[in-house]
Amino acid sequence: MSKTDVVAMILAGGQGARLGVLTKKVAKPAVPFGSRYRIIDFPLSNCVNSGIEIVGVLSQYQPLALNTYVGNGHPWDLDRNNAGAYILPPYQKSGKSDWYKGTANAIYQNKDFIDDNNPKYVVILSGDHIYKMDYADMLKSHIERGADATVAVYEVPWEEAPRFGILNTNEDDSIYEFEEKPKQPKSNLASMGVYIFTWDVLREALIADEADENSENDFGKNIIPMLLGGGKKLFAYRFAGYWKDVGTISSLWETNMDILDKPEDINLVDRSWKIFSRNPVKPSHFIGKDGSVKDSALTDGCRIHGEVVHSVLSESVIVEKGAFVKDCVLLPGVVVKEGAHIERCIVDFGTVIGKNVKAGPTIEGEGPYTNHKICSQGITVFERGLVIKDDVVIPGNSMIDSDVEVSDEDNVIASTFRV
Amino acid sequence: MFNNAMGLILADNKKISLGELTGPRALSAVPFAGRYRIIDFMLSNMVNSGIKNVGVLTYNKYKSLMDHLGTGAAWSLDRKNDGLHILPPYVNSEVTNVNGDEELAGILDFLKTSRTTYVIVANSNVVLNTTFDDMIAAHEKSGADLTVMYNRDANKCGSPCYIIDCDENGFVKDMLYNPQKASSNKSSLGIICLRRDMLVDIISKQMSHGTSHFGIHSMVKMFDEIKVYAYEYAGTALRINNVQAYFKASMSLLDENVRDDLFWSGEPIYTKVKDEAPTLYIDGSSVNNTIVSDGCRIYGQIENSVIFRGVTVSKNTTIKNCVLMQDVHISENCHLENVILDKNSFVRPGVRLVGHSDYPVVIGKGAGI
Repeated sequence: MSKTDVVAMILAGGQGARLGVLTKKVAKPAVPFGSRYRIIDFPLSNCVNSGIEIVGVLSQYQPLALNTYVGNGHPWDLDRNNAGAYILPPYQKSGKSDWYKGTANAIYQNKDFIDDNNPKYVVILSGDHIYKMDYADMLKSHIERGADATVAVYEVPWEEAPRFGILNTNEDDSIYEFEEKPKQPKSNLASMGVYIFTWDVLREALIADEADENSENDFGKNIIPMLLGGGKKLFAYRFAGYWKDVGTISSLWETNMDILDKPEDINLVDRSWKIFSRNPVKPSHFIGKDGSVKDSALTDGCRIHGEVVHSVLSESVIVEKGAFVKDCVLLPGVVVKEGAHIERCIVDFGTVIGKNVKAGPTIEGEGPYTNHKICSQGITVFERGLVIKDDVVIPGNSMIDSDVEVSDEDNVIASTFRV
Repeated sequence: MFNNAMGLILADNKKISLGELTGPRALSAVPFAGRYRIIDFMLSNMVNSGIKNVGVLTYNKYKSLMDHLGTGAAWSLDRKNDGLHILPPYVNSEVTNVNGDEELAGILDFLKTSRTTYVIVANSNVVLNTTFDDMIAAHEKSGADLTVMYNRDANKCGSPCYIIDCDENGFVKDMLYNPQKASSNKSSLGIICLRRDMLVDIISKQMSHGTSHFGIHSMVKMFDEIKVYAYEYAGTALRINNVQAYFKASMSLLDENVRDDLFWSGEPIYTKVKDEAPTLYIDGSSVNNTIVSDGCRIYGQIENSVIFRGVTVSKNTTIKNCVLMQDVHISENCHLENVILDKNSFVRPGVRLVGHSDYPVVIGKGAGI
């Protein structure tokens, strides 16, 4: 395809509230994943590997980290002369200005950006899935079937179908109905939030949708039903590779663990479809004389003098002598002090786990930080930039959040710092 | 940080061979410390000092160096003004081999187009992490014409070794090349600074005298004609003068103080980014006292080693005191000790290879054992 035939738009403005403290300061797509990546590296790399060179990144919620991370697009080869990565925040217009009200409205507000590039097709992506997908193959099917819109679908287990937006299709995979979280699903084809539209068709639909005051301006809930109602040709594109939503603490943790347990599924070592990321510029990692690392993923800058078992460590994590880390996801710069014993913890940027801290599902009971709304499966989440007191004991399913008001006695946070 | 200097790196050294390691590449392109090439340190030092114009002088075997440096983007040297300049032998079709001064003519052109006051010129056989601000300040304060950086490793640097003797004010009064008996413990690190216009004069003069070779120490040796000041560098500086020294320098990285000095206490060292996956430690792997880079798959046992990017160490294999470069593959049931394996080499199942810590076995690039 010619590079100007296609523009990709990544919806990266959502808060991702179900990730709790992890998205307090950053938008979900900027959350680190899989030792050396951020979630947005996957759609960005997929675009580049598919030959798409014009990529709009729609940011809104806590955009600073995301904007800095994407930058000029250089790590993904998206610093082209007449193409590249473009950060698209909501902006003030003469007349009516607004935040992005919904996914469709976000694209509507940037229709000038798309028009300026004059593409035939627009690829709409979300910034919260871990998968490798060739959008060029999907586009081929879109063109071959003469579709107005193509929606990538993933076969989910029937019992899980009620959690997804489900597409009901005819035998030729043409779509006749979209159902958001159906109680009685007629199909198990879940929408992956990956759409290809013929731009003229989408443009018209977005304008009509914007004029409808009752619309939620959402692709799944409004645009797709509107196109179906208008007799447009919509097809499902079946995707069978690895695809995981990382919208919740438990799914984020499980997907990280998949890298260790099923490395072939996502196959990060495949050099023909690399996942690119911004490099932290740190030396190779080091495992000391007293260090031990089993069944884990590590990257640059880590220094391990304690025991690491079945964990995913981002750059520059320090595990001190006598510390024990199991089934954890440690994000950049985390320090686990001497004698600490942590299991099933997700620890955000830079947080220091104090000496002899015990945290994990093996510790029974509930504490002031227990949060069943965000945490499950015994997973404990630590906010970024905390210094955790020495010797404290934290049961599983806790969310260590500096905004939670607790008594001095119960407080596990010694201090906080900016990272 | 200053921006009043330009840099010139002499990417190869005719006096230094690392055997198989410098067979396919220039000295400065030899891989080091897991994810770097030797030149990364000097390039980063210059960039971290605020230098925005760097020339890399090469004379042959520069393909791997050019692949590595690319546009200079990894060092933020992909600039409109200045940036990275690779200076291959300057071949002028009309005067080729008339007087053999192509190398010097190439440098002269590069120096003349710059507008900075100073030039830092550096050899490629030393690994260190520094900035040149202090050296330039000392140079200005001393009123010298040229300042050379040294440290006190004279008794352990191996050939080529330039011992310098200074007077009580720190000015060089003698320099000895590989002396039988060292008269001082001061040994040049092969890094100098001087005014750009002075370097232009020196080179022009050398050319008119029919000299074809450009060397840092031939300028330090001019201490009778110009004022040469000696500036001491007290931090870690690893000299890479032969294979043994390369091996020793690699093993010294396992010392925390050396790693701190080279990587953590100063400015970052930049290198070409490879976008490898994270390294996975799988099943019964066991790794101690070892540097490991991204993209590796470790199933076996490793001790006291430096592992580069994309290396595979299979089950039931033990690696001890080794340097395994990029994309090396070690099969099952092997035992390797004191071995340096160059890029892309592979070892078939059941192989036992043992070198001596003073004389490591070196397996060349892409070789199969």
